[in-house]
Amino acid sequence: MSERYLRHPDLRLADVEGDGVVLHLGTRRYFSVSESGLALLQALEAPRTLPELVAVLLERYEVTPEQAEASVRQFLDTCRTADLLVPESDG
Amino acid sequence: MTATDIAVQCSDRTVRAALEAWLAGLRLAAPLGVILNVRITDEDLDAVPEIVFEQPDVRFGLGPGGRGIRLAWDHAPAFADLPAGATVASVLLSPEAVERLERCTRTFLMAVVIMLLRRTGWYHLHAATAVDPEGRGWLVTGDAKVGKSTTAALLAASGWQVGTDDAAFLERQGDRILVHTSHAPIALRDEGRRLLAKAGGVVLPDRGKVGYWPEDLGGVWTPLVSPDIVIFPTVGKARTTAEPIARSVALAELVRWSAWVMLEPDLAQDHLDVLTRLTGQARCFRVTLGRDLFARPNRLIELVT
Repeated sequence: MSERYLRHPDLRLADVEGDGVVLHLGTRRYFSVSESGLALLQALEAPRTLPELVAVLLERYEVTPEQAEASVRQFLDTCRTADLLVPESDG
Repeated sequence: MTATDIAVQCSDRTVRAALEAWLAGLRLAAPLGVILNVRITDEDLDAVPEIVFEQPDVRFGLGPGGRGIRLAWDHAPAFADLPAGATVASVLLSPEAVERLERCTRTFLMAVVIMLLRRTGWYHLHAATAVDPEGRGWLVTGDAKVGKSTTAALLAASGWQVGTDDAAFLERQGDRILVHTSHAPIALRDEGRRLLAKAGGVVLPDRGKVGYWPEDLGGVWTPLVSPDIVIFPTVGKARTTAEPIARSVALAELVRWSAWVMLEPDLAQDHLDVLTRLTGQARCFRVTLGRDLFARPNRLIELVT
C-alpha cells in the first residue's frame, strides 16, 4: 500500500515571485515557504505519492533523485508537524 | 444617501439616529447593500458558541450551523449574526449596550461593519494612510504601539494628506489596490502629543488618548489612497532608517496586520490575493522611526526614493 498525501483543505496559498505564504485557516497560523515548498504544496492540491512529489522537484531543479527524495521527506515531516497534510491511502 | 452608504434599520428612532450619525461621521463611501438591522431587546441573549477569534472588547464565533459569524461585545450584552455571504447583520443590543452606545459603536459595531465590508471586497488592515507632497500613496502598518498615529499626525502637520491612523480598507479596482479610510481623529498618547508639541485636541473617552482631526493639524483628509509605498515601522532611539524587504516578507507582515484573513474560508483566498497584489504594487520597507523625523518629516521620502 503506498501512502498518498493531500494538503489540508484549510490551506490557502500565495505565490510571491516564487516564494510562498501559506495560511492555515483551521489553526489560524501562517507560514512562509520556499519556492520548492510552495511547488510541493501546489502539487498536493491533488493526492500525491512520494515518488510523484520527488518528480515535482526533479522537473524543476538540477538535483539527484536521492537529494530530491530527502528534501521531500523532510518537507513532509515539517508539514505533518504543522498539520498541513491530510494522509490518504489508495490500498 | 449622505456620506455613507451603510444603512441602519431600527425601530428605535433615537438609536437609529445615533447610529446613522456615527456612520455619516465616518464618511466611508461603502458599497451599496451593507445594512445594520438593529433590534433593542432585554431578552436573554445566546452566547457565542465557540470563540474562533478575539480582539479587545469583541469576540468572534461561528454562526448557527458553523456557517457565518456571530460577534459578541464584552462590555454589555450585544450580539450580531452575519450569515455566510450576507451583507446584512442582525444586531441585538441590550438596554445596557444602548446606554454605552458610543463605545459600542467604536468597538463592537465597527467590528460588525468591518466583517460586512469584507463580504463586499473591502479588506481591513491596521494601517495609517497618507499621500506625500509629490502624490505618492503611503501605507504605515503595524500594531498599536509602532508609531502609526504619531507618524500620521506628524505627516498631517507637515502638509501631507492623511486618511487614517488605524483602520484602512483595501479594495481591488482594476489592476490597482486602493485604500479607503474613514474620517476619524488621529488618536495620540501623551508621548506623541509631547513629541509633536500639540495642545488641544478632543479627549477620547476610554482610550487614554487625545484625538486630532487631520485638518486641525494643518493637513488634508483624504478618503482614498493608492499605495506606492508600504512601511512596517518600529520606534527606535537612533536616526530614522529604512530597509527594503522582500515581497514574501512583506506579505507575511500584511497577513499579521490583516488578521481577519483567517476568518470565513470562502473569503480568505481573495483577501490573501489582495494583500499579495499590494506587495507587487508598492515598494515595501522596514522602517525604524527616530526622533530626527520630527525635525525633518520628509526624511521618510528621502529614505525610500
